[in-house]
Amino acid sequence: MTVAPDQVDVPDVDEHDATARPWQVVVWNDPVNLMSYVVWVFRKLFGHPETEATRLMLQVHHEGRAIVSSGPLEKAELDCHRLHHHGLWATLEKT
Amino acid sequence: MTGPFDLTEGGIQLTVGADEQGVLRSVPTLLQSGDDAGGRLDYSPHPDDPAADAEYRELIGDDLTRLRREDRDSFHEFVAGEPGSPETLEAFMRVIGEARLVLADRLGIEDDGWEAEAELQSDPELALLGWLGYLQDAAVGVLSELL
Repeated sequence: MTVAPDQVDVPDVDEHDATARPWQVVVWNDPVNLMSYVVWVFRKLFGHPETEATRLMLQVHHEGRAIVSSGPLEKAELDCHRLHHHGLWATLEKT
Repeated sequence: MTGPFDLTEGGIQLTVGADEQGVLRSVPTLLQSGDDAGGRLDYSPHPDDPAADAEYRELIGDDLTRLRREDRDSFHEFVAGEPGSPETLEAFMRVIGEARLVLADRLGIEDDGWEAEAELQSDPELALLGWLGYLQDAAVGVLSELL
């Protein structure tokens, strides 16, 4: 471990620069969407095998959220948009 | 036959009775009320960053509204008895999902586990929520076979 410095130079990086850091798409638990439907959405949108899609769905159900995809901002926003079209609660966050 | 859907040479056919067909015809009206299901139909991808959220909404524009309108058009035709493609059934399933979100919001459902309590009640909207869930699950079954 080390001690944090008193002052650091913060690089001038655009907060929304898609090349700065990858973004993660987070799906949150909701009490309405069916488990079977959520598995199907993960398989359909992201091409996951059924076992992986089921694992992600159960993670959402038990832990409240799961990261279902990641990448540059534009891709993450598109994934988020497609999840919203399917009625799932999805948000974005930086890695 | 797979539950409420029949797989024919002409496509996928909805096989519910006339009364159930009438209930399904009322679903788009439920959605046209302008109810956003307590925000469940208008999620923000950047809930903690208004500037990023505004940029996103400018980028997406009214695409979500357009997609939902197309889904409802497909839903109308399918419920009217037209055989549909897998894409039609996907649209049907999404519209059903939207309706369930609206109903759940109206019923104040906020936590998992509401189904057990729902079985004890006879609220027509709860009954509709459950039946639409049955239809959606059956559609998932058909579409999962096609993935």
